[in-house]
Amino acid sequence: MYYPYFIAYMAAGFVISIVVFFWALNNGQFKDQQRARYIPLESDLNTKPVKASRFARIETIALFSLVCIVLATSVAVVVFALVKAVR
Amino acid sequence: MSNEVTESISSDNPTAKAFTLTSAFWFAAATSLGMIGAGYLIAPDFMANIEYIHFGRVRPMHINAVLFGFVTPGLLAAAFYYFPRLLRTELFSQKLGVFSAIFWNITVAAGIIGISIGHTQGREYAELPWIVDIMVVICFALVVFNILMTIRQRKESILFVSIWYTTAAVVLTSITYCLGNVIWKPDTGALLGIPDAIVLWFYGHNIFGLLLTPMGLAVAYYVLPIATRSPLYSHTLSLLGFWSLIIVYTHIGTHHLLQVPVPTWLKTISIVDSVAMVIPVMIVLINLWYTVKGKLGDIHADIGAKFVFTGTIYYFFVNIQGSMMALPHVQRITHFNNWVVGHAHIGVLGFAGVTALGGLYFILPRITGKPLYSKFLADVQYWLVLIGITGFALVLTTVGLIQGNAWYNGETLYRTLPEIQPYYILRASLGTLIMIGAYIGLYNVIRSLYFNRGASI
Repeated sequence: MYYPYFIAYMAAGFVISIVVFFWALNNGQFKDQQRARYIPLESDLNTKPVKASRFARIETIALFSLVCIVLATSVAVVVFALVKAVR
Repeated sequence: MSNEVTESISSDNPTAKAFTLTSAFWFAAATSLGMIGAGYLIAPDFMANIEYIHFGRVRPMHINAVLFGFVTPGLLAAAFYYFPRLLRTELFSQKLGVFSAIFWNITVAAGIIGISIGHTQGREYAELPWIVDIMVVICFALVVFNILMTIRQRKESILFVSIWYTTAAVVLTSITYCLGNVIWKPDTGALLGIPDAIVLWFYGHNIFGLLLTPMGLAVAYYVLPIATRSPLYSHTLSLLGFWSLIIVYTHIGTHHLLQVPVPTWLKTISIVDSVAMVIPVMIVLINLWYTVKGKLGDIHADIGAKFVFTGTIYYFFVNIQGSMMALPHVQRITHFNNWVVGHAHIGVLGFAGVTALGGLYFILPRITGKPLYSKFLADVQYWLVLIGITGFALVLTTVGLIQGNAWYNGETLYRTLPEIQPYYILRASLGTLIMIGAYIGLYNVIRSLYFNRGASI
């Protein structure tokens, strides 16, 4: 008998989620969302602005190229797999 | 809420330091174990006479060291830094935090040594022997207690989304770990037959979905607004992303079992929810990328934010892959071969690991009060890891395609082996880059924590 454990787990997860959600609702966690956007900034007031450099731009382009290569490979495989499947 | 409260929070954070060191150490150890495994794939008799590091043992040692030694503690180190800051209070107990970090290391070491001497439960991601399972649960319980008590004594009424993500991650994982490791059966740590496969993959995917993903996103939600000095694009949207992740991600484990006789309704749910993962993923990425829009220069100036932003790109990539791989027609080619290995590396190292490294580099100057020992070395590590993981994605995808295609056409396995060997050599070479990066990172972290002679910030 394995399913009593599954049912107990699912029931516990469901109950915890519902309880936490309603706690958040009643506690005002979904209110004042505009101020919430600034909480990380208020927690760190010492970070100073930086100057953009040429090297940073080149680095960004290199990074973007790497991402494109990976994405293109992935798309190619999916297309290949689908073409195979249709045949 | 006044800013004086934030300013008065102690910057001395021994818990964050302990978890930082833990993560850096196990990253080096885990990649070394991975390299031994890569050696076996090139030459099967490589170190074959040493039973303690035979491939069948070194692979789970590598995986467990990465999951529980490197990535989770790395993300926890950042969490122990931003929890007091976001909640405007001190951590409930630094002593408990340091103790949990020490116990965490003992647990991971016990697990790795246990597997090395042959004590394994033989289930993927759940290999750790029963006694170590109990220790892992205690580790999570200690962390859960510490952060829940910190939340309880908070002076900031609103819980920022990072708090939601990390709390959910550690609470859910402490329970899911018990279920997935069938902890009530110490002798086997497993159920019988198909139900065991279902429960194992429910757990296995949730180690990524309900532990690494939410904790990684929590770090990104904290680091990127600060690095770019921009408010979060939308906090409402971030909460929507959080709740949709909790609802959707929990059901997708069975997409590993589409070619297995599990109930069809369960397969259907896993496929539908795998595709539906596009919703929480795009919510997160739209939110984060709009937050940093036009400020890539700021991100590249901060090595921590650079790692974290790169992590978000890999997060996008790994999730699009995941959604597509759950489609049965695609999976016929991509499953049970190196494609999945590539996918796992992109997810665990490319997204969660890189984000954890970003978290470490972001908090290091802030917890030591001094600049990073060497930004140059951190940059070198960044590029080594980035090239390594991108190469992994390319090479393992190609090998997976060769293997999947051969299997699909009914070819005999051994015929594919000569064809894929060059790729395994490439893979080991790329792994070497990542391993060197890990050791450079360990050196940089140790110097930054203990032997940094630089002037204070």
